[in-house]
Amino acid sequence: MKESSTVTSVGGAEIPALLSVSPSPHIHHPDTTRTVMLDVIFALIPAALWGVYIFGLRVLWVILVSVVSAVLAEAITQKLLRRPVTVADCSAALTGLLLALNLPATVPLWMCAIGSAFAIIVVKQLFGGIGKNFVNPALAARVFLFAWPESMSFFTAPGARLGLFDFSVKADGVDVVSTATPLASLKTGIIPEVSIFDLAFGEVGGCIGEVSAILLIAGGIYLLVRRVITWHIPVAYLGTVALVTFLFPQGGAGATFMLMELFSGGLMLGAFFMATDYTTSPITPAGRLIFGVGCGLLTVLIRYFGGYNEGVSFAILIMNTLVWYLDRFTRPRVFGGGKNGKK
Amino acid sequence: MAYTFRGGSHVSEHKNTRRCQIQRLDPPAQVAIPLSQHIGAPCKSLVAVGDYVYRGQMIGNVEGGLGCPVHSSVSGTVKALNPRTNAAGQQVTHVIIESDGEMALDPLIVPHEKKLTETDPEEIVEIIRRAGIVGMGGAGFPTYAKINSALGRVDRLIVNCAECEPYITANHRLLLENPAAVINGTKILLRAFGLRQADIAVEDNKLDAINKLEAMLVDSRLMRVRVLKTKYPQGDERQLIYALTGRELPAGKLPADIGCVVFNAETCAAIFSAFAYGMPSIERIVTVDGDCVAEPKNLLVPIGTSCLEVLEACGGLKHPPHKVIFGGPMMGAAQWDIEMPVTKGTSAILAFSEKAVRDPKLPEVCLHCGRCVQNCPMHLMPNYLVQYAMKGRMEEAEEFGVMSCVGCGTCSYNCPGHMPIVQYIRVAKGAINARRAEARARAEAQNESKEKEAAK
Repeated sequence: MKESSTVTSVGGAEIPALLSVSPSPHIHHPDTTRTVMLDVIFALIPAALWGVYIFGLRVLWVILVSVVSAVLAEAITQKLLRRPVTVADCSAALTGLLLALNLPATVPLWMCAIGSAFAIIVVKQLFGGIGKNFVNPALAARVFLFAWPESMSFFTAPGARLGLFDFSVKADGVDVVSTATPLASLKTGIIPEVSIFDLAFGEVGGCIGEVSAILLIAGGIYLLVRRVITWHIPVAYLGTVALVTFLFPQGGAGATFMLMELFSGGLMLGAFFMATDYTTSPITPAGRLIFGVGCGLLTVLIRYFGGYNEGVSFAILIMNTLVWYLDRFTRPRVFGGGKNGKK
Repeated sequence: MAYTFRGGSHVSEHKNTRRCQIQRLDPPAQVAIPLSQHIGAPCKSLVAVGDYVYRGQMIGNVEGGLGCPVHSSVSGTVKALNPRTNAAGQQVTHVIIESDGEMALDPLIVPHEKKLTETDPEEIVEIIRRAGIVGMGGAGFPTYAKINSALGRVDRLIVNCAECEPYITANHRLLLENPAAVINGTKILLRAFGLRQADIAVEDNKLDAINKLEAMLVDSRLMRVRVLKTKYPQGDERQLIYALTGRELPAGKLPADIGCVVFNAETCAAIFSAFAYGMPSIERIVTVDGDCVAEPKNLLVPIGTSCLEVLEACGGLKHPPHKVIFGGPMMGAAQWDIEMPVTKGTSAILAFSEKAVRDPKLPEVCLHCGRCVQNCPMHLMPNYLVQYAMKGRMEEAEEFGVMSCVGCGTCSYNCPGHMPIVQYIRVAKGAINARRAEARARAEAQNESKEKEAAK
């Protein structure tokens, strides 16, 4: 290299002796992992606040404990594994929030902590950290927590308004009224006694974050507009559920049954926020469509014939395991390449 | 509807200099003209230290093979023939000429004596070769060689004014200020190829230039203005040809193989200058911009002018530069020496502060978000290519089409995980090319030893 230790000055600014050299491109889109995660968190806040409003202030504790445990679990595991600590990318916080929104309002707080730790340590970090897990951490944790079925399937009636200091709510509680979710009644082929508007707005029992379909759709649209997600998975997922439930209703008229199925349970939360998780969904448009259709079919099959009332979590988890194959199977044809994408 | 292609993405344009008229740079005190500025053999110097040279005088030429002569961009005395390392890391002889400030033109430079209609294609090619014209969009392939390889094989002639790189407005200003030169240069090319019509392709962020061209071409059937959607990398030959003709250029092929030939707008203007005035390629329009530059400008710069001098002509620098880039920010080359001379392929000089281009100190992660796949203009799966490249699994990378990558950098630009995607792909391509060369050498050596045995 040329000897240029002398510092030249042009128009007041000094020119460093050495300029920085790196391969192109030299500029970058403002998006980072953190902005993407924050966008998703932001899109979930309305539905979360609705959960607080409808089930009571105790929900705040569920969210807080889940998020804090997830972040702590990530930081501690990364320290122990001598990896850089990356909690600032907010992905652990998002996992905690998603888990909280998938839990009933009365869930014991220690279960939130256990669930978050399971999601982060077992599902995420042990598989290599962000971008390496093969199933959705929040959903895997939720399924793990089914080990305590009474706590996981006890749903308070809407408007229960649990107090901020109702830390432990007993499942056989004297002070809380349990309710059958619309899904439980749909399963038996009976249209639940709730208006479609109450169902869509979230005046029903269920998990904290899943009840308000309208607010979840609004959040999903925000993600679409911000280009955080593409339309393929939600449209294919919801479209499949709508089609199958319309053609094969378990009871009542096709259209009513279909709307009830669409707005019940965790479908909206799953279609917009869980099935679209980057790491565990395909990257090609065709792959995403197949993934969405698969999620939809499995959801309906489990709702109709499975042991659980709800099939969204299991459907997405099953499809998660197929992502690698879907990516390869739907590899796009290379520009200028032959018919099968090979040269 | 504007013409476009599938893939690519909109990159923030930063066309800050779109209203900056092209100004002629004051004659530099000294120029350093590299004897190799592009693909092909380096030139042999035709001058010795102490010689007086005119502006436009040929100072270097190639002896056979691919290559283009170079000319002095000032009048003055040859001070030295210095080897210097260029941005690509190669040692190149630079002819250092001290200007006498006269800019005295070589008396041998005269307009072509015949009319265009009486000039053969071969003569046109020779004029272009003698003028040392190379592709001015940045790739820098000798123009005469491109024409020679395409003669008689093409049915579409495309003039590329897409200018899809951010910041650069050199072609835009050329179209506004001297559209006649581009149009006349295109006519010369039409004559050389024996074609009846050319397409002038402009991105729709340059509507003023489009209107101007359309007004000038309203009675002409020789050229059509084609409006392209503003999207990076629309100016890439492959994407441009596809957008206008629907033809896909396979990897490793030339546009002429699918009946197309593409010229940059400024190259066309240079061809016109060579034909009408006998003027060789000794200056070019350079966009000077970046957050460090006090007064961003478009300058007409003699080849060989030091980058430092160009920056001084733009009011100097406001902040200490961290990176100085020749070309656009997406595909341009970062320079290690601020005194690097402007060459025929330097469409822009961008001086950025650390804040503007510093690679964020974020961990590099692949979220599997698929943005690289959505945006790849070659329809590759860049995230998988990176994984194979990182693991050294080159056969799989090859099977996934890594050699089709054009290096546009759209993947790296958009990656929220800040993976250096295109950089890894370049590593893989380099490794595969090296392996292929090795295999070829081994096969040749084997053949030779077999022949020897047979001779025994």
